[in-house]
Amino acid sequence: MIIGMAWRNFYRQGIRAFLNVLVTGLTIIAVIFMLSLLNGFQAQATRNLVSTDVAGGHYRLPGFDLLTPTEWEDFAFPVPAALHGLAYSEKAEVLLQQGQIFPERRLFPVQLRGLEMQQTLLHLPLESLKSYGPEIGEAIPVVLGLKISEKAHLKKGDSVVLRWRDRFGAVDARDVVVLEVADFINPRLNDGILWMRLDHLRAITRRHGEASWVAVQTYRGEVAGLKFYSPVMLMKDILTLLKHDRRNSKIMWIILMFLAGIGIFNTQIMNVFKRQKEIGTFMALGMTARQIAGMFTLEGSFAALGALGVAAALGIPFFIWFQGVGLDLSHLSGTTIPVRERLFLEFRPAEIVTSVTVIVAVMITVAWLPVRKILRLDPTLALRGKAVT
Amino acid sequence: MLKLDHVSKTYHVGSEDFPALQGVTLQVESGAFLAFVGPSGSGKTTLLNLIGGLDRPTSGEIVLNGLNLKQMRNEDLAAMRRGQIGFIFQSHNLLPVYSIYENVLFPLLLNGEKESAVRGRVMQMVESVGLSPFAKKKPAELSGGQCQRAAIARALVKQPSLVLADEPTANLDTENSCHILELMKNLNETYQAAFIFSTHDERVIKYVRREIHLQDGRVSRDMRRNGQGVLE
Repeated sequence: MIIGMAWRNFYRQGIRAFLNVLVTGLTIIAVIFMLSLLNGFQAQATRNLVSTDVAGGHYRLPGFDLLTPTEWEDFAFPVPAALHGLAYSEKAEVLLQQGQIFPERRLFPVQLRGLEMQQTLLHLPLESLKSYGPEIGEAIPVVLGLKISEKAHLKKGDSVVLRWRDRFGAVDARDVVVLEVADFINPRLNDGILWMRLDHLRAITRRHGEASWVAVQTYRGEVAGLKFYSPVMLMKDILTLLKHDRRNSKIMWIILMFLAGIGIFNTQIMNVFKRQKEIGTFMALGMTARQIAGMFTLEGSFAALGALGVAAALGIPFFIWFQGVGLDLSHLSGTTIPVRERLFLEFRPAEIVTSVTVIVAVMITVAWLPVRKILRLDPTLALRGKAVT
Repeated sequence: MLKLDHVSKTYHVGSEDFPALQGVTLQVESGAFLAFVGPSGSGKTTLLNLIGGLDRPTSGEIVLNGLNLKQMRNEDLAAMRRGQIGFIFQSHNLLPVYSIYENVLFPLLLNGEKESAVRGRVMQMVESVGLSPFAKKKPAELSGGQCQRAAIARALVKQPSLVLADEPTANLDTENSCHILELMKNLNETYQAAFIFSTHDERVIKYVRREIHLQDGRVSRDMRRNGQGVLE
């Protein structure tokens, strides 16, 4: 009976009820969208980093720092048999050295990165290098990322002088030829790197059998002299960024809930104020204050429950459509954000259930707060419409 | 059935006390048809509210059907109102979202009755106040007099021992007032429920069998009609 009456009273509110339901429903959709977009971003960013660079972790010399090029030479190490013997699908040896190129007679510091051609662990657009053998011809074949090619004004087929220092400190120079200008989905690999065959880089730097790190598919246990850097350690910056994004999204979430809550709160205050005589009548007919407060709370709660329906009715088609088109992030090619392709939502059921439960609980609480007045209402004043002023 | 013993009620407004009732003592028998008569501010409505358990006296005791209202919790007073008291207000106070039928049904549902079990009783009550053709209409679709008749049906449907009517004809024209009063008189005789009015309307006073006049919160006169209809 109380449910039926609460429903009729809710329905009687007309456009106010509809707007509350709509705003709360849109809040639910917005929260799910925000969280799922972040999930999608995190999933795609980490997937891109893992597939192009991080893999299942790196074995490096302790103290190696990618951001200190002057020390790279000191942190190359002979690849131990335990790692070298792994299948090419399970490891990728990478050597990193400093170099300079001189495009248009300018000095341009670069990172020389050599990668085993047989490896299948990392997915990089270096197919063109495979057509070359271990012997170096007139010029060293290299692949450039889009960004460095723009900065250095180099394009496919161009030659440029490369200078480097070998492991004995001798400075040498030779022409390199740009085989390909490739677009790496990991923007960190697009800039500042001359990609070459590992055997070529080892040959010109006289670092046979050496690597700066060995990317592995899974942790292979302790390796003497080396330290294992897990994917979490290697992706610390992007994971920290995402953590901050999640915090920011919570602020957005709170703002949205606040707005939706204000609508319901306002409606409930109006209800108690405008329907004092009705409340007094209920009391005179024998309803307890607690029963009446429960009925009014239920009325307000219908907005939250209705919002679930609206969220399903509007949200499901929207999410289906969105998963078909994705969010175009191609404009982010100039940034260091490791997502270059279209971004898609990734739904986590537990997260959605938690979010929706929290929203509904907050809305029911908001519906109840103004109604508490009824518990203290003097029925004689309520009947005269003077209990709440 | 109803006994008031030195009932007083004082309202505190700011630092001042306003005595609304002062030492009211009276008895009302079952099936009574009486009115509290007096000017505004004489304490009529306050007295009805105290008898109905909507308010509590500052001092004195009210005993209704053996129940001392002073000793009862709010929940028990609500239960007593549900079972034993029907209210009729100056404005009908019908629930706007319900039809006339549902409004009359409502007190029975509050008492835990099933609609299927009391449907006939509700329709009979609606018919007894002449509203059968309007049973499915909402209060907003009816005139003031029709709504007041629906309110009477709502008050009587649970067959209370006492009906409290606070100026029930104040918002009605003379014709409607007479219809309503005739109706209540007939229902009083049919159901043997005691009716207590608060009024200063001469049309009401003519109908009642007992007049209790209030002046400044005190009973100034208590008169009954004799067999010839003369007040004594």
